[in-house]
Amino acid sequence: MTPILSARGLTKRYGRTVAVDNIDLEIPPGRIVGLVGPNGAGKTSALKAILGLATYDGELSVLGKDPSRQRAALMEDVCFIADVAVLPRWIRVWQLLDVTEGIHPRFSRERCLEYLALTKITLDHKVKQLSKGMVAQLHLALVMAIDARLLVLDEPTLGLDILYRKQFYTSLLNDYFDEERTILITTHQVEEIEHILTDLIFIREGRIALQATMEDVERRYSELLVKPDLAEQARALGPLYERELFGRHIFLYDNVSRERLEGLGELHTPSVADLFVATMKGGDS
Amino acid sequence: MKRLVSLIRREFWENKGALRTTPLIIGGLYVVFLLMSIFTTAHFDNELYTFREAVRLLAEQPAEIRAAHAEEVLLGSSVFFTLVLAFVVFFYLLGALYDDRKDRSILFWKSLPASDTMTIASKLLVAMVLAPLIFWVIFILTQVVMAIIASIMVLSVGENPWTLFLSVVNPLEAWFLLLLSYLASSIWFLPMYGWLLLVSSFAPRIPLLFAVLPPVVFAILQMWISFLRTFTLNNNLFGVIGEWVANSPAILSIGVHDGRGMLTLGAPVNKDFDHAVTVANIIDRLFSVQMLAGLAITIVFLAGALWLRRRATDS
Repeated sequence: MTPILSARGLTKRYGRTVAVDNIDLEIPPGRIVGLVGPNGAGKTSALKAILGLATYDGELSVLGKDPSRQRAALMEDVCFIADVAVLPRWIRVWQLLDVTEGIHPRFSRERCLEYLALTKITLDHKVKQLSKGMVAQLHLALVMAIDARLLVLDEPTLGLDILYRKQFYTSLLNDYFDEERTILITTHQVEEIEHILTDLIFIREGRIALQATMEDVERRYSELLVKPDLAEQARALGPLYERELFGRHIFLYDNVSRERLEGLGELHTPSVADLFVATMKGGDS
Repeated sequence: MKRLVSLIRREFWENKGALRTTPLIIGGLYVVFLLMSIFTTAHFDNELYTFREAVRLLAEQPAEIRAAHAEEVLLGSSVFFTLVLAFVVFFYLLGALYDDRKDRSILFWKSLPASDTMTIASKLLVAMVLAPLIFWVIFILTQVVMAIIASIMVLSVGENPWTLFLSVVNPLEAWFLLLLSYLASSIWFLPMYGWLLLVSSFAPRIPLLFAVLPPVVFAILQMWISFLRTFTLNNNLFGVIGEWVANSPAILSIGVHDGRGMLTLGAPVNKDFDHAVTVANIIDRLFSVQMLAGLAITIVFLAGALWLRRRATDS
C-alpha cells in the first residue's frame, strides 16, 4: 500500500532553533494518527510543512505530491482545520459555501447543508455572530462535505466546551472516517482522542519519541500498581517511569512480559496520557 | 476560471463597503448638493427670476458651445469620483495580502485548492477592473439622476431641456472616455499597485507605514546626495512619482487651452505627452517608454509579492 505521507529527514529551522529535527515518518491510508507533544515540540511546524504552508529541508511527499511546490493541487485531497478561529469573521455562511463550492472540486453543497441542518447555524449568519463552538461545527461541516483523503486537525477543539468536543469527534468518526481516509490530529487533550486513535506519535524537541500503533502500545506497555513492600522488586525489572499515588507505587514498563509482572500487583494498559508523561519524563534520565 | 470568479466574488464580499457603498455615498452627495443648491436658489431668488434669466441666456448660446459646456460638466464631475476611487484602490491593495494574515484566516484560504498566483491575480483584477467598473456604473447612475432633476428645473421655468442640453451632447462618448481612462490608468499605475501588493505581502504590521516610509526615506536620501553633489534638488523619487501622476491617463485637472479652461489628462506640467482628453492620447501613454519601464518594475514587485505569499502563514 502506498503511504499517504512519507517523510525522510524532514527538518525545519527558524534561524538557529531547530523546530523539526530530521524526522522519518510514514503513514499508511485508513489510520487516525495522534501527533502528541508538549508545547513547542514542533507539532505545528511539522503540520505546516505537510500542508505546504512552510518551507523545510529533507524529503516530504504527501499523497505523492511535494507540498512546498504543489500546495494548491494537494489541497484538492487534503483538508485542514486549525484551531477554531481561522474562518474569516466577515463572511456569511452562504458566501462561505459559495466560495468553497467555486474553488473546491470535491465539495458537496448538499452534504454540507445536511450537516448544517443538525446545528443552529443558518445560511445568513456571519461567522463573527457565531459562538466558538458553532464556528467549529461550521468548519467541520464544511470539511466533512469535502471528499478528501487526508484530514489534518491542529488543535481543532481548542477552547470548546466538553459538549462540543465530544460531538466534534463523534461526528468525525461516525460520518466521515473510513478505510480510504486518514486523519492526522494534534491536541493537548489526549484523553479525548485516545479511544479513536489507531496510531500514536509522540514528538519531543523536534524528534519522534515514540511511534506505534495502538495495538503495539497495548502489547508493549504495561502499568503496574504495587504496594510499597514489593516496590523494590518491581523497580528491579527496569520500569520506564515510576510515580506514587495514595501510597501505592505505579510503574510503567516497556516490553516486560506480563507473566513476570502479574504476581507483583494490579496490571493495566497505561492511558496515552500516562504513557506520554512517562516517555517525556523518562527520556530525561 | 470558475475559481478565479469565486475568488473575485470573495473580494467583493469582503470589501463591499469600500467597493460599493463608498461610490453610492458619493453619488448620493452629488444629488444632495444639487438639491441643496436648487433650494438655496429658490429661497433667495424671487420666483426663480435669476435662474430663468440664466437658462434663457444659455438657450441663446449656439449649440456647439452648449455641447462643449455639457461635455465638460459630464466629465468634470467625475474628478471627485476618480480621486476617491484612487483612495479605495490604494487601501484595498494595502490590505489585500495583509488582512488575512493578521486575522489568521489565511489558514482557511490556503486550505482551499486555489494557487497563490490565482489569489494575487484576483486581487489585482479587483483593483484594476472591478473597482473602476463599479465606480463608473454608479457615476453614470448619478449623472442620470442629476440630469432628470436638472430637466425638471428647466421645465419648471418654461424652457425645453431636450433642446437646451439633452440633445446637444452625447453622454455615451463622455462615459466611454471615462471608462477608457479608468482602465488605462489601472495599467499606468501598475508599478504602484505592484508595490502596494508587495508591502501588503510582507508588512508584519501597519502596512501603510511600510508602503510610505521606504520611498520617503529613499527620496530624502536622493535629495541629500544630489544636493551635496550639485546643490540642486531635482531628479529624486518624489519627482518621478509626481511626474508619473502628471503623465497619467486619468482625467484629473483643468488646464488652459486656447484661452479657456479645458479638462486634461493628468496634470499638464510637462510636455512628455499631449494632455487633451482624447482616445488617442489615452492609448498613447500605454505604448511609451515609461510604461515599459513601469511594467518591468511591476513584474519585480509582483514576483516578490508572490514569493512571500507562498511562504506566508498566520505567524
